[in-house]
Amino acid sequence: MEKYFDASYIWNSIPVLLPFLKVTFLVAGSSIVLGTIFGLLLAAAKLSSIKLLQRLANLYTTIMRCTPSIVLLFLVYYGVPALAENFGINLHSIETAIFVVVTFTLQFAAIMSEVIRSAYLAIDKGQFEAAVSVGLTPLQAYRRIVFPQALVIALPNFGNGMIALLQEGALAYTIGLIDIVGKANLIIASNINAHALEIFIALAIVYWVLSIIIEKFFAMLEKFFGKGKKTLETS
Amino acid sequence: MNYQFLVETFFVALSGVPIALLVTIVAMFVALPLGFLLALTRINKIPVIHHMAKIYVSFVRGTPIIIQIFIIYSSIPLLLKIILEKYNIAYDIYKINPIWYAFIVFAFSTTAILIEVFRSALSTIEKGQLEAAHAVGLTTFQAYRRIIIPQALVVAMPNICTATVNLIKATSLGYAMSLPEITLKAKVAANVGYNYVEAYIDIFIVYLILCSTVEYIFKRYEKHLSKFKVAKA
Repeated sequence: MEKYFDASYIWNSIPVLLPFLKVTFLVAGSSIVLGTIFGLLLAAAKLSSIKLLQRLANLYTTIMRCTPSIVLLFLVYYGVPALAENFGINLHSIETAIFVVVTFTLQFAAIMSEVIRSAYLAIDKGQFEAAVSVGLTPLQAYRRIVFPQALVIALPNFGNGMIALLQEGALAYTIGLIDIVGKANLIIASNINAHALEIFIALAIVYWVLSIIIEKFFAMLEKFFGKGKKTLETS
Repeated sequence: MNYQFLVETFFVALSGVPIALLVTIVAMFVALPLGFLLALTRINKIPVIHHMAKIYVSFVRGTPIIIQIFIIYSSIPLLLKIILEKYNIAYDIYKINPIWYAFIVFAFSTTAILIEVFRSALSTIEKGQLEAAHAVGLTTFQAYRRIIIPQALVVAMPNICTATVNLIKATSLGYAMSLPEITLKAKVAANVGYNYVEAYIDIFIVYLILCSTVEYIFKRYEKHLSKFKVAKA
């Protein structure tokens, strides 16, 4: 009799799955880089004194927060080529990974804009003024005084955002990206749907370990950059 | 762009809202008390349970919800099958309404999120408050109910709001359990004529309305609750 559950499938599938992490990382990494840049612009818009820019940036963040990743993913996947077609551009043959990166860039930018904004606001304005008054140029004041402090505040949220992005990225398989989840589904399909549970458990283990590593890494970074920080001991 | 389809499908997508809300409400109903109790075990460091809660939170936060769905959706029938065969109960497990799986999955993941929310909210309340309440003769239960929870709730509210919105968004993954909610209904409607762009625009609008309404309600409630908030010295 065949067993319903065979743990050996878990250990055997992990080595097969791991090479496909490369795709996951590549997509997540590009989204993080592009999303941070775009998020910085959004945060700048939110902090600017122009009302219209503020409104637009806030509206964008609200919309992104209210849209499930999977919906955004499909909207980009089907919507962008359809939109481009109106202008006579054919986008049907470009790589799926591009659509995934676009989607998660849009989403990560919304998260990052809030992270950056709150970190910036947490720094007392007096610090900048004091720096300028002792003769630093505004750029120097930002670089030497405001930025290092804001970075420490932003780090934990940035780490959480990254973990969230990695997890939402698991949905990329739905539009046919062969990342680690996509590969897992291929393995299951080639087993004629038997032992799906074991493969999924293997996937969960991979993601779990990754998240713990990222968490630990950011805790370390925070300790490193937070050397000069003096606040109440809360933990 | 097929505008007639766009309008028609909007109502199809809208008809999935009750299911999405039902799943959200049931999951919250289970997760709020359970998350609170487990947060208390974390704070009071109750042996064994506190460690298990920690691992549980770490697992849920560390794995994508779609994978949690996959695991629960494929493990429960397996477990049920073994149990049913053992006791010789004739019941077709494939007849179970997928909504039950959805309840389990989303309650499972939301509980973990809420443990962390309550834990951080409770840790903002000074210990002296509980001691003061004890000193004036309140029982621990009374102290929690009258002194600590009202204050912690104000702190926790924004995070509970985020958790609720995330939960509503996560119900869009119900398609993996063939749960007929917003996304699946509109997608099925789109399958006929390949009108995916229109269908996803509809889904997008429905979620936008749903989530911004929920956010608005929470904001109102937060304002109401903030009466209890005491200005920090």
